[in-house]
Amino acid sequence: MNKLINFKIDGISVEAQRGETILTVARKNGIYIPTMCYISKTSPCASCRMCVVEAEGVEGFILSCNTPPTEGVEITTNTAALQNERTNIMKLYDVNHPLECGVCDKSGECDLQNKTLEFSVERQSFSARDQLRPLQHWGLIDYEPSLCIMCEKCVHVCNEVIGDDAIEVKFGGYSSTIIPKNSETLDCTFCGECIAVCPVGALVSSGFKYRANAWELERVPATCAHCSAGCPLEYETRHASLNGADEIFRVKNNFEFASLCGAGRFGFDFDNRALKNENAFNRAIEALKNAKAIRFSSMITNEEAHILELLKDKLGVKLFNEDARKFAEFMKSYSSISSKLHHSGSLDAIKQSDALIVIGSRIATDNPGVRYALTTASKHNGAKIVYAHPMEDTLMQSVITQMMKYEVGTEEGVMALLAHTILKDSDLDESERAFFDELDFGYLYAETNIGEEELSHMMKSFMRAKKRTLIIGNDLIAHDRSSNIAKLAALIEKYSDFSLIVVPREVNTLGVSLINSLDRDEKISDVVGYNAKGDFVISSLEGADLAIPSLNQQEGTFVSIDNRVLPTNVALEFDGYTLNDIANALGIYNKNTIDYTKELNKNSGFKDISFDDLENFLSPLGEDNRGYLLDEVECAADGKLEELDDMPEFNGTIIYQCNPVLQFNNYTFKTAQLPKENFLRGSAQFGVAAKIADGDMVEISYKETKIQRKFKLDSELKGTIALNPTFDISVDASRYRFEKSKIERVMQ
Amino acid sequence: MHIEHIDEHFNNRNVTEMNSDYYLVGIEDYPTDNWGRFKRVIKRSFRGELFVGLWVVMREMIRFDIHTVKYPEEKMPIGPRYRAIHQMKRLWESDAERCIGCGLCEKICISNCIRIETKLDASSRKEVSEYSINLGRCIFCGYCAEVCPELAITHGGEYENASDQREHFTMYQDMLTPLDMMRAGTQLEFEGFGSITPHEDERVKKTPLAY
Repeated sequence: MNKLINFKIDGISVEAQRGETILTVARKNGIYIPTMCYISKTSPCASCRMCVVEAEGVEGFILSCNTPPTEGVEITTNTAALQNERTNIMKLYDVNHPLECGVCDKSGECDLQNKTLEFSVERQSFSARDQLRPLQHWGLIDYEPSLCIMCEKCVHVCNEVIGDDAIEVKFGGYSSTIIPKNSETLDCTFCGECIAVCPVGALVSSGFKYRANAWELERVPATCAHCSAGCPLEYETRHASLNGADEIFRVKNNFEFASLCGAGRFGFDFDNRALKNENAFNRAIEALKNAKAIRFSSMITNEEAHILELLKDKLGVKLFNEDARKFAEFMKSYSSISSKLHHSGSLDAIKQSDALIVIGSRIATDNPGVRYALTTASKHNGAKIVYAHPMEDTLMQSVITQMMKYEVGTEEGVMALLAHTILKDSDLDESERAFFDELDFGYLYAETNIGEEELSHMMKSFMRAKKRTLIIGNDLIAHDRSSNIAKLAALIEKYSDFSLIVVPREVNTLGVSLINSLDRDEKISDVVGYNAKGDFVISSLEGADLAIPSLNQQEGTFVSIDNRVLPTNVALEFDGYTLNDIANALGIYNKNTIDYTKELNKNSGFKDISFDDLENFLSPLGEDNRGYLLDEVECAADGKLEELDDMPEFNGTIIYQCNPVLQFNNYTFKTAQLPKENFLRGSAQFGVAAKIADGDMVEISYKETKIQRKFKLDSELKGTIALNPTFDISVDASRYRFEKSKIERVMQ
Repeated sequence: MHIEHIDEHFNNRNVTEMNSDYYLVGIEDYPTDNWGRFKRVIKRSFRGELFVGLWVVMREMIRFDIHTVKYPEEKMPIGPRYRAIHQMKRLWESDAERCIGCGLCEKICISNCIRIETKLDASSRKEVSEYSINLGRCIFCGYCAEVCPELAITHGGEYENASDQREHFTMYQDMLTPLDMMRAGTQLEFEGFGSITPHEDERVKKTPLAY
């Protein structure tokens, strides 16, 4: 099947895998072929024609970027004719390109600049009538058509990797431009990936424009601190104002292989500024000594989590973190069936899959990294994607092949049905077989609202798939019956060829769940909050009793959704105290926080590697060399499936705790550039049911919580579930994200 | 081999061997006993060396054809390439500021004394919003002027920059050529990359963009 193709490039014998092009093989073997429009993570644009090569016995030039080699062919990459061809292409690229390198944001890292110098294009030997092409303002993105070289990288990335499909080429020869698709202005999720891939200064971040130059900025390789996808990024810092301290000016990423969402790209200024306040520090020590518990969030590094665990032993306090506790419980139930600690999937596995099920998550906003992987799978493998959720998501519409809409609260039933369908012919043991035999299918079909034909349609579309993945979201983790759901998921992974991914809610939920032994949260007094609510609050957010650095001011590691331990670095200095200073004062001594990196919990698969030995880069061929993968840990498989519980009913006005795009948490809320649309968004049907109209101020009450928000009618939504953003409030992460709520109009 | 040769030169401090123009200064041996020390004090105190110096001053004072410059009333002319306080140039054709805010001067500055801030201005152009040179740190090496792609920053001849502040800055506006000077055509121009070349008018050709 995987027969290698042997051929020669410039006289060097090389081997190609099936499906590889001449260009990829050349790059693998370190043979240079210049390109302008090629980008590794998309299919070849083939618009620049710089990558031309000659093949023996073939008339004319061939494009190496989209041509697979044939057995025994001899390729030449560098003859005078090819050089002439490429130089002429460069000359055409340079026609009327504005000579504003001195002020252009891209200058110094511009592909056009580099290649113009490489091919020594010194003068313009062709001419064309220049035309008026005014600057376009598209919100966070500015487009300068006169600088655009029509390489089409942006269009390909937007369509094939991100899935917004928001821009397209308006063809017209020399007057071609990039235009928003089916819209007056750009209407997209503003991931800014088009800015990243633009080889010239045509697409730029409007917030960065003309503020600094490539050569002035210092790059700090780090890991994105907004969600659990753990995307690699570089913070670029420089001093601000004449006497000012350093600031992050922009974020860049290795766009050739990795992607970044808008929150990562534009939401970088969540740093915390504070000076050493000895008074507050002493009060913090006192508060910790008297504390009964420490409540903390998962927006911390593994090292901080480890210190908190040490503090727990030293001070005899309880540790509260509902988000990680729920996740840990879910994974514990999972392990009790699968007999291993970590889920098997990764983002790369999603990208390579051609059959996927996403269940229990509004994934496009919960974890854009997963969304981009799904888009890649859909566009490159033609993957069949089943999206199971009570609400449709327009962002996923172009990617999913089957919407499986189930009733709110019936996740356990849905999982049982899925497991039953997938494992129909599997070699289950007796008790497991008995579990499925005892299922009351009539009841399940009725309550979940999923039909038998939907399931068989799914199986039919999956029939030819080579690689399958099941993606499990937070609705299943926070569900009352999460333990049984986890067991069902484990069963699917164990007995079928599905790999499994459980999407952690916060950036380091997974890490915390592996490091800390957590207690169930209680409403007691004397709780110290660490980035969370408490009687004494130590936090990197505003209003803290003691300020600590936020995640772009710390070095340490996170555990990403891939089970990869990723290092992050200090982009901005922090002058105040850190958790390690507190631990030192309480008698747990280590000089630096990162000294704990190699002490992290070995029983959870962490390795004995110190922080400074962790690499943080992607290789030129795209291999992930960041940090390390957690070791797999064997567990006892002593779990038994429980009988299904009665499905709960959710009637009336239901809200779903879900953030809009570009927002994740209180940290993204702090940033200057990201939009902060904290409206309750609902359909017209929801408006009628709740007796509210667009623009009304409403009070939402569920359990003991009451929030006031403006209601916004969203024509893209359907049904009687409204979306309630959580980035500006603090939510109880252990609660199921659908809430029965009372909505009342507030008179103003 | 070559390195050994250099080593020899650097380590051989016996200059007389290398060049016969050098000679050793005859220095008396230091006194070792108290009597010797006493004699040295007497000798130094009464030799009248003070008056030798005073006589030189007196002689120059009464001579009236002195060659000393009466600073600060008089000042020596200095060469156009002298590197003193920086100047910011304007464009001859439009009087607009030449600086485009590329930040290369800030980058190259080895004493880290230049700070520049740029932003997008109201007409969508790059504007230099802040520019300062910390003269307390500047070593007047001239790198900033050398790297400037537009010949916008040069050194001027103003060398009197004593201050009672350690952090003595010059701001952009103070360095910028005043408009009346531009009108009078007295902005000092240098040859070099970015400047107007001699016979500019004859050399200019129509670009392919001409309509």
